[in-house]
Amino acid sequence: MIRYALRRVPSAILVLLVASVVVFAVPRLTQGDAVTALAGPDATEETRTAIRQGLGLDQNVVLQYVHWLRGLVTGDLGTSYIRKVPAVEAIGTALTQTITLTCAALLLAVVLGALGGVLLGTSRRPLVTRPVGALVSLSFALPPYVTGVLLVLALAVTVRLLPAGGYVGFGDDAGLAFRSLLMPALCLALPAVAVFARFLGASIRQVMDEDFVRTGVAKGLPRRRLVSAHIVPNALPPVLAVLGIQVGQMLGGAIVVEAIFAWHGIGDLLVNSVLNRDYVLVQDLLLLTVAVFVVVQTLTDLAHAAVDPRVRLEA
Amino acid sequence: MNQQLVHRRTAALAGAALLAGALMGCGASASAGPGGGTVTILQSADIAPTTFLSQNNPNFAIIRTVFNTLTTYDRKTLQPQPELATSWQQSSDKKSITLHLRDGVTFHSGREFTADDVLFTLKAVQRKDVSSQLKHVAAAITGMKATDAHTVTLTLQQPVSNLFDLFELMPIVDQATFDDLLKGRRFVGTGPFTVDSYTPGVGVKLKKNPHYWKTGLPHLDGVNIEVQSQSQSMLSSLRSGQSEVGLDLAPLDTAVLRGDPAFRVIASEADDATYYVASNVKLKPLDDVRVRQGIAWAIDRQRILDQALAGIGRTSSLPWSESSPAFDPAKAGTYHQDIGKARQLIAAAGAVGKPVNVAFNSGFLTNQTIAEIVQFGLKNAGLDPKLVPLQAADFFAKLGNGNLPGLYVNVHGFGQLSPATLVKGAFPFNAKKNASNFDSPEYRAVADQLWSANDPAAYGRANDFLLENQFVSDLVVSAHTFTVSSRLKNLDYTMYDYIDLDDAYLTD
Repeated sequence: MIRYALRRVPSAILVLLVASVVVFAVPRLTQGDAVTALAGPDATEETRTAIRQGLGLDQNVVLQYVHWLRGLVTGDLGTSYIRKVPAVEAIGTALTQTITLTCAALLLAVVLGALGGVLLGTSRRPLVTRPVGALVSLSFALPPYVTGVLLVLALAVTVRLLPAGGYVGFGDDAGLAFRSLLMPALCLALPAVAVFARFLGASIRQVMDEDFVRTGVAKGLPRRRLVSAHIVPNALPPVLAVLGIQVGQMLGGAIVVEAIFAWHGIGDLLVNSVLNRDYVLVQDLLLLTVAVFVVVQTLTDLAHAAVDPRVRLEA
Repeated sequence: MNQQLVHRRTAALAGAALLAGALMGCGASASAGPGGGTVTILQSADIAPTTFLSQNNPNFAIIRTVFNTLTTYDRKTLQPQPELATSWQQSSDKKSITLHLRDGVTFHSGREFTADDVLFTLKAVQRKDVSSQLKHVAAAITGMKATDAHTVTLTLQQPVSNLFDLFELMPIVDQATFDDLLKGRRFVGTGPFTVDSYTPGVGVKLKKNPHYWKTGLPHLDGVNIEVQSQSQSMLSSLRSGQSEVGLDLAPLDTAVLRGDPAFRVIASEADDATYYVASNVKLKPLDDVRVRQGIAWAIDRQRILDQALAGIGRTSSLPWSESSPAFDPAKAGTYHQDIGKARQLIAAAGAVGKPVNVAFNSGFLTNQTIAEIVQFGLKNAGLDPKLVPLQAADFFAKLGNGNLPGLYVNVHGFGQLSPATLVKGAFPFNAKKNASNFDSPEYRAVADQLWSANDPAAYGRANDFLLENQFVSDLVVSAHTFTVSSRLKNLDYTMYDYIDLDDAYLTD
């Protein structure tokens, strides 16, 4: 196992090294640099040159890369050119918002999706299945940039029940934080609710045809107990795999939702950093994404090898 | 219906009502009534501390709330009024000025404001790594001396007509914390509000300065400046009552609020958002003045005003606002759409069917709409226009280097005060070096003449020169807008559009 790990880890490091070259080079292939944003409108060439020198952007590109890599190895992600704060601080602040939003959306997706799925799977009454089915189809069909705008119009502008946008930390004002979170989380969760409900409903219907369910009915088990204790637990495993994929899609969809609700999460940070050519943040964010993927992949391979000796032998 | 079910439903309804009540109750913002409260201002981009000494749109809300300038123009008379400078005397040859500074002013740090702070700020504007459209004025100051703690004498290498433009534009900064200011770490001014916290990319929270030199002011307890990149989100926030001011909403979004008594859309009297199409005169066929004039005749300015700018502004062939001494209403209407004339000029230059790129900043929807209208006009006039959308960083880098690939659509300011500030400081027009690569000894002479004195003859000469050469074709003189909730009273602004909340207050 140790030999397998020793062989697997260097390849992961090599992937990260190649990725670091790519994420360093790609932003620099685009036109313009951070000086444009820092100098502001109407700046003279002399001013722009002075600012460029101050940032070290006039240095040899290889030197800039080595400097950045050395920082990474020592745990220094650099300082944002535009925001003038350590990259780790900017990423941390943004990550907090994105994780809060995604977790809340996931929770809503599970709760509402389970409810919809159970109703779709267990009920035979058209009065229940038709409206639930229609709602599920609607939430799947409407993209977040439409539901977001509609929710804001209905719940913030017309009724003034919830804030139209903005992030509030739970440490600052828990009540307001909760209210600020509801709409963006719902907006992000709706497509996942639809997927979860559809899959769970189908899975429940499949399980309901199983012999053990018929036995339970024949033995006079109450319907509620039969559903909650026997049918749903057996219907869940295939649905959980789908939910995992939905989490990935939620992280992608969060970029749009953050823009609609004026949250300043990772999506907002990445987009602004790209537009302002804040190379340090772009590089760090892209490398972080690659690193997460590589680490998860490596750990999965190691776990696989630990439980299956054939993998170690083949390697 | 059985009793238990009735109870359950009643309980559920009561619970829902309680939840809704709790949600709505939490939503009521704490307002201390007239004279207090916190105002929330929305803007599309984060403040840019590195450009505090220049005019830059993202700083409109913070400059005059945290800092003060030496003087401020009266928007009606355009005469400089006292601010941190209480009075001044200029020598008869206009080559020196003595400023008397206000006594009893302190920075937010508690340190007293003195003449040294004025000298420091002027020297900061002269620094190579600090941007300012009025750098040329600061550079013309050859001598500066603090005669006493509250008197400054400046000596100029030549008389300049836009000295008070500099005093209006330049916030007085604290020398002890200036380097931290440029990095966005500390904001120490003498203004009505102090910076409570700043989160880059998110916004700034300001709180009342209890030691403000204007006794009894400000009324407000605080100001939140928040970044909301989407104009539609700003609009929703305003309409939901979550915020009170939106800066520069997309013109078509402001149209939604017209006629709504809950809002006022204030178009700044400065009128310093002038949309133009300019030529990189290094490139063919734009090197031929007849083609540039043909382009000026080909564009439907009224359509731009109506469709892209929701009627905010007026069509014009000149860069000046009506407040500018160089504004000439007769000459401002020189160019209007006349496809016949446009075709004639383009044909005379042998440019019929020639390809022309029309570049614009793709992140700015208004400019895209204008570029499309320009493209339509040029096609009718016989050219072969192609739209080139560029990301902001790319567009402005190319603008700065004079490398834009043909025509370009953009917006400029600085037409509202001294004409010299436009031809010396605004990059599209800068006579020394401009984005169009237009270089002419005559233009430099025109610019110098405008700079040295307020001479009506020079204004006429400048207008004729600009109208003739058309390296920049002005289209619509529009304005920055402040969309304001009717709950907020007494919002004011300077001729550089810095928001002034000294006397502002909220009503219930």
